[in-house]
Amino acid sequence: MLDITDLNAYYGESHALKNVRMRVPKGEVVIIVGPNGHGKSTLLKSICGLVDKVQGQVAWNGEDITHLGTAKIVNMGITYIAENRELFPYMSVRDNLKLGAYSRRAKANEKKNEEWVAELFPKLVERRNQLSSTMSGGEAKMLAIARGLMSDADLLCIDEPALGLQPSYRTDIFRIIQEISKQGKTVLLVEQNIPQLFEMADRLYIMDEGCLSFKGGKEDALSDDQLKEILFGM
Amino acid sequence: MFFEIIDVFISGLINGSVYSLMAVGLTLVYGVTKAFNFAYGSFYVLGGYFAWLLLVRYGVPGGYLTVIVTAVPFFFVIGFLSEKILIAPLRRYGDWEMKVMMLTLGLSLFMDYSFQSVFGPRVKSIPSFTEDIFEFGDFVILHQDIAIFTVSICCMLGLRWVLNNTRIGMAVMATAQNPVGAQIVGIPKDFIYAATFAISTILAGMGGILLCQKNLINPMGGSDIMIKAWVITAFGGMGSIRGSLYAAFILGMLEAFVGWYFGMMYVQIATLTLLLVTLAVRPKGLLGRE
Amino acid sequence: MSLKRMIAILGAFYLVMGVLPIFTGSADHLNILTMILIWAVVASCWDVIMGFAGILSFGQVAFYVIGAYASAILSVSHGISPLVSIPLAGCITGVFGIIVGLPCLKLAGHYVALVTFALHMVLVPFLRGPLGRAIGSGGAQGILTVPPIELFGYAFNADTLVPFFYLTLVLTIIFTLVLVAVIKSHWGQAFLVIKDSEQFASSLGVCSYKYKLMVFALTSFITGFFGALYAHYVGMLSTKMLSMDVFTLLMIMMVVGGIGKYPGVVIAAAITVTINQLLAPLGMYRPQIMGAIVILLVLTLRGGIVGIFEKFLSSRPEGGISLGR
Repeated sequence: MLDITDLNAYYGESHALKNVRMRVPKGEVVIIVGPNGHGKSTLLKSICGLVDKVQGQVAWNGEDITHLGTAKIVNMGITYIAENRELFPYMSVRDNLKLGAYSRRAKANEKKNEEWVAELFPKLVERRNQLSSTMSGGEAKMLAIARGLMSDADLLCIDEPALGLQPSYRTDIFRIIQEISKQGKTVLLVEQNIPQLFEMADRLYIMDEGCLSFKGGKEDALSDDQLKEILFGM
Repeated sequence: MFFEIIDVFISGLINGSVYSLMAVGLTLVYGVTKAFNFAYGSFYVLGGYFAWLLLVRYGVPGGYLTVIVTAVPFFFVIGFLSEKILIAPLRRYGDWEMKVMMLTLGLSLFMDYSFQSVFGPRVKSIPSFTEDIFEFGDFVILHQDIAIFTVSICCMLGLRWVLNNTRIGMAVMATAQNPVGAQIVGIPKDFIYAATFAISTILAGMGGILLCQKNLINPMGGSDIMIKAWVITAFGGMGSIRGSLYAAFILGMLEAFVGWYFGMMYVQIATLTLLLVTLAVRPKGLLGRE
Repeated sequence: MSLKRMIAILGAFYLVMGVLPIFTGSADHLNILTMILIWAVVASCWDVIMGFAGILSFGQVAFYVIGAYASAILSVSHGISPLVSIPLAGCITGVFGIIVGLPCLKLAGHYVALVTFALHMVLVPFLRGPLGRAIGSGGAQGILTVPPIELFGYAFNADTLVPFFYLTLVLTIIFTLVLVAVIKSHWGQAFLVIKDSEQFASSLGVCSYKYKLMVFALTSFITGFFGALYAHYVGMLSTKMLSMDVFTLLMIMMVVGGIGKYPGVVIAAAITVTINQLLAPLGMYRPQIMGAIVILLVLTLRGGIVGIFEKFLSSRPEGGISLGR
């Protein structure tokens, strides 16, 4: 379980997260929505130790991981799947995936995860020798997700998987997130372009100017006015 | 005339092979850590003294084999510690690239003059691998040249293998290609930076051990070789290993032929001209990316 | 830093410098004071290039030496009066700056550092070699008889230290004002912003290139000018000026003064020249110790002396942010 108390994050002078409190129980799908540039990505990055200036506490299964550094956090079973992919451009798909299983934890289950990823992303198997920089946006996104899955994480922080992709990819992404969740993994998701996902969500949060507010489970949340406005423009 | 040209060609080839070793070390550090190491040449000189200490001063058994085998861990540790103590602390601040250049320049001054006060200002020589020669009529090849060429090519191939096949090597390449991505998959960035620096230090040390057999050990000789390695790096495209390889052989040849035809005085001027022209046409060097 | 404070610091500094010769008649002291003035300007030029225009140039000493040799050669081999040869040497150095800057300033930072430093390294074999001898560099020996500056039959040289000091002081103040104008100009301020934002820099594109080239040429001119002044002051030149310890000395000034914290380097020049003089008895160990000093200073002195002052003076706290990894 992920437990965040009074988390603040800063980029230079700007105060990107303000006293964020949040709980992500094991096995749940938690979705954060909100306008762009209001700190959703920063929250995911802060959890994974990718933001330099943070204050407050992020606890993972009762252990404080706020200042551990990304390498250790990954090894404890949290992974970040970046919105802009962050692949290794001059490496093949296979090497990208291999590096996804870099941590000691992932190494132990590499074979099993490899099979799982091959099953979820048959296209990547076909293209295993292609350089990742020569892939289309959608394929690269799939590779980024696949690489994240190779890390054998229990908690996947997925940042806008559908952003900038053709609508046809949305069903793929929905299906994959469903599969991930079925494996008992916890998913913390920033995404508001795939309506079906809200049916899956156990909890919904809104991020607004660095402040996070809890909107309850899907039943309560979908009747919330602020949420409706963000999601459907009503 | 013909034999002379062949001779010059061979010396260009030998120089090129050692330069490639040096330049690849430099470009690797730049590509991965974006730090520029001005003290690189001083590590080269340290390699020369390392060999001198073991071979001449203490006369260790096993000769060059011992030197090369002990040099790898020795230079790894020296490089690793230098990075951790001197460069890593600077990385936290905005203008660290500038500061790293200044610090390593200070380090090179410190090292060069320390060599001078410890070992004396006179040049020292270390024995060659072997004194044997091949002879085909007028035409002579030193076994030593062949050995130097072979060892540096083996080092290059070894490095290539490490980078493409081992876990740590792949982590180094990943960090060079995308530092954020590398962090995301759990590669410990700080360790990789230090390890890369250490690997480059090994290459510089090896370069010293190999080339000082021919060029003598000069306590102040570091800056000259550093400039050469640097020019090669920029010429080939900073961060591009293959670019450095090509550039090293091109410049090795240029140096050999210009030195032979016009005199050594003109080598540096020719080198700089070639560099300026190349950069005017291709601002990122021969094979630079982005 | 505000223009007012900058002028106040510089004014106070040069006022003190101007008064000091009254209290000392020692030739050694006057020599140190004169060298402080010269180095202060050369280091300021470097700071403008590196700290403000953000050009990673390592050719500062090279330009200094080019200016010195140019003026010496003009006056020795071609009989031109130092009064003409010094500004002419400045112009020659400025042209060199443009030649190097034209291809160079479009390149990424490290390439600029390389090309400029390579210029420095190439100067030694050039000046010592047959090409240099052909234009009158004196080869390895150098130029031993550079004539002093003569004004209305009065010679400013190493024997007339006080007048030369004041001549240098006047020139120093003039060029310092020029540099302040550059820093405080619209573009100088824009550069401070650029340094923080790569995107903004690229959006300025060609304009910033043109301006960088102008700044590069101007600082090369000033550096060459003071190199020339130095040549006619000491009366002899050799390629020893290009040795790494001179370079390091200049670099210590930058680190002590703080890069891009302008009047910092001026004060740092005074400190550095004095300390270097105090270290003279160490003889051959001096460069070694200077190297160690650079390492320690870079590691410990983040914003230079100005940074330290700012820390004490500034009322706004750094903010109660705990620094994570």
